[in-house]
Amino acid sequence: MADMPTPYAPPAEIEGPRSRALLVGLVGLAACVAGFIVDRDHFFRSWLVAYLLFLGIALGSMGLLMIQHLSGGAWGVFRRVFEASSRTLPLMALLFLPVVLGMGTLYPWTHPDQVAQDEVLRHRAIYLNTGFFLARAFVYFAGWILIAWTLTRWSRRQDAGDMRVNLPIQYLAGGGLVFYTFAATFAAVDWIMSINPHWYSTLFGFIFVGGHGISALSFTIVVSTLLARWAPMDTVLKPSHFHDLGKLSLAFVMLWAYFNFSQYMLVYAANLVEEIPYFIARTSGGWQYLALFLVVFQFAVPFLLLLSRDLKRMPLRLVWVSAALLLVRDIDLFMLVAPEFDAASGANLHVLTGEHASHVFVHWLDLAAPLAIGGLWVWMFFTQLAQRPLLAFADPYLRNALESPGGH
Amino acid sequence: MAVPQKPVEGQLLEGGVPAGRAAPAVIAPGHTFESVTDKISGIVLTKRTPIGWFIGFAVAFAFLMLLNLTIGHLLMTGIGIWGNNVPVGWAFDIINFVWWIGIGHAGTLISAILLLFRQQWRTSINRFAEAMTLFAVACAAMFPLLHTGRPWLAAYWLLPYPNTMGLWPQFRSPLIWDVFAVTTYFTVSLLFWFTGLVPDLATLRDRAQSRAAKVIFGVLSLGWRGSARHWQNYEVAYLLLAGISTPLVLSVHSVVSFDFAVSVLPGWHATIFPPYFVAGAIYSGFAMVMTLAVPLRKFYGLEDFITMRHIHNMTKVMLVTGMIVAYGYGQEAFFAWYSANPYEGYMMLNRMTGPYAPLYWSLIAINAGMIQLFWFRRVRDNVVLLFILSLFVNVGMWLERFIIIVTSLHRDFLPSSWDIYQPTRWDFAMFTGTIGLFLSLFFLFIRFLPAIAIFEMRTIVPEAKLQPEQRG
Repeated sequence: MADMPTPYAPPAEIEGPRSRALLVGLVGLAACVAGFIVDRDHFFRSWLVAYLLFLGIALGSMGLLMIQHLSGGAWGVFRRVFEASSRTLPLMALLFLPVVLGMGTLYPWTHPDQVAQDEVLRHRAIYLNTGFFLARAFVYFAGWILIAWTLTRWSRRQDAGDMRVNLPIQYLAGGGLVFYTFAATFAAVDWIMSINPHWYSTLFGFIFVGGHGISALSFTIVVSTLLARWAPMDTVLKPSHFHDLGKLSLAFVMLWAYFNFSQYMLVYAANLVEEIPYFIARTSGGWQYLALFLVVFQFAVPFLLLLSRDLKRMPLRLVWVSAALLLVRDIDLFMLVAPEFDAASGANLHVLTGEHASHVFVHWLDLAAPLAIGGLWVWMFFTQLAQRPLLAFADPYLRNALESPGGH
Repeated sequence: MAVPQKPVEGQLLEGGVPAGRAAPAVIAPGHTFESVTDKISGIVLTKRTPIGWFIGFAVAFAFLMLLNLTIGHLLMTGIGIWGNNVPVGWAFDIINFVWWIGIGHAGTLISAILLLFRQQWRTSINRFAEAMTLFAVACAAMFPLLHTGRPWLAAYWLLPYPNTMGLWPQFRSPLIWDVFAVTTYFTVSLLFWFTGLVPDLATLRDRAQSRAAKVIFGVLSLGWRGSARHWQNYEVAYLLLAGISTPLVLSVHSVVSFDFAVSVLPGWHATIFPPYFVAGAIYSGFAMVMTLAVPLRKFYGLEDFITMRHIHNMTKVMLVTGMIVAYGYGQEAFFAWYSANPYEGYMMLNRMTGPYAPLYWSLIAINAGMIQLFWFRRVRDNVVLLFILSLFVNVGMWLERFIIIVTSLHRDFLPSSWDIYQPTRWDFAMFTGTIGLFLSLFFLFIRFLPAIAIFEMRTIVPEAKLQPEQRG
């Protein structure tokens, strides 16, 4: 038995991108360390944006993994990619530490003098305080990691022929989705919304989670296109599988637009003093061009492209749409964070001073941080991917789905 | 010789699916093209109407007469017969509107989205779910029309008539958007439903015995002969209509939610309203499909066609959408506090402890508490229990709209203008009257039209997978 080759073993070729990712990550990390020393405030903001992008891929993959366990269907061929992404969560918990270090820069409610002057922050102090913030972050990560680890371990047991886990996986997927959505919602409040001392929106959690879907699907398409070049996945992955992912991407792109339009239109129409500053900051001082860029490139263009059936069935074209979407996701997250620190219109008390005080600009750390986190994250992803077969070949539901044509 | 053992849960059966978890079939085994056609068309073409049908129709018709009486009284007297007051300027009329429109959503979701996603289980429930949509929208439309007090003038107020008097309707008002959203929805749903009916109407025409039935079904079937060319055109038209209907599933109830969310009232102005209303609509719509499907399959012996697979899947859809609704309640409550706005905070406090608190906690108990039962397969297997629970969901979603609409209005920014809203007997008469209208139409539908799509069911019997020369 021992010398029998493992079915669907990962190809040796993934060692290439894996080691290159580590190199990129280390170079980026060195740049970030330099940035931390010379421009600490900027480092924390850039780190937060890049962190949220890759956390979104990991969490979104875990969400899709659970949806796939519940819904079934042939797109389960991507399960091991989703699993490897969600198994990067411990690394993401580690990379959260700079955010903790930067709380004083990022979150105005950490300053007692500012809280004392601000009635709203005083009201929120029992929720927005350092101790409870850290405790919540611990609960989110503990829950997410526990779910990801249990799901992937049980999936591994299926490979070994243990079918008793089939039912528990589905129950965990159902409960896990509930936990993931609630935890991600409150994480969005803690980590992004509270940068602005006053603003709030009940739809914000959905916008955050919907974005995870776009990020995770885009990354999965990019990586699967790569995997499809080598054995064993070159014979497994078919145009119809990419078609499924393309359709899901289209659905999430539409959902993202729907959520953002709803939020914008309702705040704009009501024009209330406690809500509208958030959008004034993002539609003036140069930020409006970035906002328009997002409307065009996170909705209009990918929407029109992804409508095409041919494009969705050709991985080599679809991959470009997905890679571009990942880039745009970073800009979207940048737009959630950066305008708050604009001295002219931002609401954060810790605004910029000096030459970049009140207009749009991209700091070199905004490029270095995604390289650092992204490099380390992709390295961890390939490390996890290399540890198990690339197909959950023993799952009976998946086998049935792969045998029956059409439908999902 | 080995004694066959009852398989243990998780043990692999043929095909590799674990025992106890294999999904039931979308159609019971043993059916052929002929048996499907006989069974479904037999319900319509029989000369003997079941006595139960007459009893049910009589009850529904009595409530329809109550509706007529109420409308008559309303038009003679005015909308003062309702409990509406200042500050609660609209209540039952908008609550029931939103409730009925929401119920209609399951039809569109089943017919359009599940078709595009190639979900076979839509096949036996799509026809009557679509009919349900049309009837529900008709009931919904009565309320804003009659709320004008003089419905014969409603077109003048609502539709964009030629601007000879320099008085366009207010296009920035979501009430106008609603007129467009709902009329589009009704038109597309009607076309979709009728297009799907044409091949079945032709089947009925060919099988009808009486002259009248032959003529009526003949006219309605638009000369359908079932040629390859007809089928090709049909498929294209049906798919296009599905594509057009899909955005409507989201847009209609989003626009309905704008009726409230565009305002600045605490409890109404919440950005989560659009997706939360859409989820609530699908949730209540599937509950209504369940409420109708369980008796329908029982009394007409359609268990072979509306199988446990359909029941399971509908329950799961209710669970998912119900959880989204429950998430919405959680967000509303959390942000009412987080906002630090005293009006927002009081709105939530008033819901939880004010004069309507029992209704608030009832809806939470149903829509956030009771639906957790749907996690259990034992519950999903119990059809009678599901029927009862689906009635509760219908009630819970009605209460949700009542709470959202009345609590935000009856105590707004100025305490001196606070008042209590109490519905009158005419409010209830009109509401139960529309239920009578809905059920009367539904009884007529199942008596005179095929409640399940015959030709679509024929595509899922095993015979459809054989080559022509293999068929008997």
